[in-house]
Amino acid sequence: MELTVNSVARTVQSPPLSSLLTVLREELDITSPKAGCESGGCGACTVLVDGQPRRSCLTAVCAVDGAEVTTVEGLGTPEDLSRVQQAFIHHYAAQCGFCTDGLIVAATAYVGGGGSADTGDIGEALAGHYCRCTGYVKILEAVAAVARGDTFDTASTASSANNTYVTIAGAES
Amino acid sequence: MAVHRGKGLATVEYPTGMNQNGDPSQAWIKVKPDGRVDVFSGTADIGNGSKTVQSQIVAETIGVPYDWVTYDNSNTDSSPMCTGTFASRATFVAGNAVLKAARQVRERILAVASRELEIDPADLEVADGSVSVKGTPAKSMGVDEVAGAATFVHGELLTGDGAHLNPGAAIIDPTTGEVDKPPHAAISYAACTAEVEVDDETGDVRVLSLTQAYDIGRAMNPTLVEGQIDGGAVMGLGFGLLEDCYPYYPTAEHRGDGMNTYHVPTMAELPEIKNVLMENPSSGGPYGAKGIGEMSNNAQPAAIANAIHDAVGVWVTEFPITPERVLAALDAKSEGRSEPRREGRVVAFDEELSINSFTSAKTWGA
Repeated sequence: MELTVNSVARTVQSPPLSSLLTVLREELDITSPKAGCESGGCGACTVLVDGQPRRSCLTAVCAVDGAEVTTVEGLGTPEDLSRVQQAFIHHYAAQCGFCTDGLIVAATAYVGGGGSADTGDIGEALAGHYCRCTGYVKILEAVAAVARGDTFDTASTASSANNTYVTIAGAES
Repeated sequence: MAVHRGKGLATVEYPTGMNQNGDPSQAWIKVKPDGRVDVFSGTADIGNGSKTVQSQIVAETIGVPYDWVTYDNSNTDSSPMCTGTFASRATFVAGNAVLKAARQVRERILAVASRELEIDPADLEVADGSVSVKGTPAKSMGVDEVAGAATFVHGELLTGDGAHLNPGAAIIDPTTGEVDKPPHAAISYAACTAEVEVDDETGDVRVLSLTQAYDIGRAMNPTLVEGQIDGGAVMGLGFGLLEDCYPYYPTAEHRGDGMNTYHVPTMAELPEIKNVLMENPSSGGPYGAKGIGEMSNNAQPAAIANAIHDAVGVWVTEFPITPERVLAALDAKSEGRSEPRREGRVVAFDEELSINSFTSAKTWGA
């Protein structure tokens, strides 16, 4: 079977019913898609197949023979990050990082398809992705900022609108 | 049949780290010949940012740029003993250990610089990677030059070590329970209000907003604090409405065994979250820090339960508050057999109930 993975033509030797996730991670050594629930529930394995987000754990590799597959590695390089990647850094949208690759891939498809900056729309589009650390707040801010067309300074961190700081006068030091 | 709105409030107080001598952290630091700083500490960074915060503490305390510091917890042979990343202890307990180690390193840098510059160490200060004479900033040398001189001129290694252990308290008056010192290192406080909608036909509960106030000690890294508190809020929402680890505890076989059977909140359930972060520095924490990680998911379930009572007048006394439990409570109310609100148990440092008495050599049975 032949795949174009992150713009590189690859020949796949794994058995045809191997999951695309297994092929990417074990045969091609592309480890950004994560093996979470491995049954379609968590979104951590999401990759783009011909531009559409797919659960690679539920996709038999023979079903995507000849397709173009994109993972986070194919979206940008450390020197030239994609806008979604820049937004995730600027808005601090990752903590442990396990869900991040799947979310960046899905968010790329969402904004690439003309998705709006409306939080309800983003929530609907990305609700198939579990994140246990961030509470989704900063992920939503990052995706909305990309949809709005913001530019991002990855050397600084955005201040988050939902937080107010109060210093207690005369506090112990 | 209608959708009802309600508001509820809950509060939490949370002691930082484990206490009663059960929870040590140790750290050591060495400075390389180019002035770059290696920190060896045992707390694993599980996404909470403990590497970042401890590196900040070291950089600030020694007086070098943050990016000169490398935090190494690559293995348990090279890292000193640390009980781990839990109990909101990494910034407070391990942070105190690296703080003490960094102070020693700073003293040794000053001692070598004193010989190089022929100035008393008390008249020197370290900032931004440079040692300079107080009041005469032009007379200075870089920390990299000091470390080079220590290595190649004086034949020394610039190191520091530190350890922290929250002290144990003993009861001095059994009748009142008075203790000889505070039994907790630092206590954080928080409050959470939840606004909910309850559908009395389906039993469905939707959380519209969570508005929270946290006494965080000091925000060493505001972005990380916000991330912990936002994340805790959504985890608390899950504990309130969705998550049940062991529904037939202690029988274990009915528990969810994967991420598609154990449901956690998604972005579609995300309520509006607003946080007020109150800086109220602790006396015992590094730079006034307290531990806020674990407390951040405590208040939401109770606030949601209170909001449901406000909305439809029933107490649901078991978590998670599933639609089935809401409907059962509504049925019970309509049949005139409302479940009373459970009374909490008031505990004022009862030695029999305090399970952290490591010092008393007590064995705690079932």
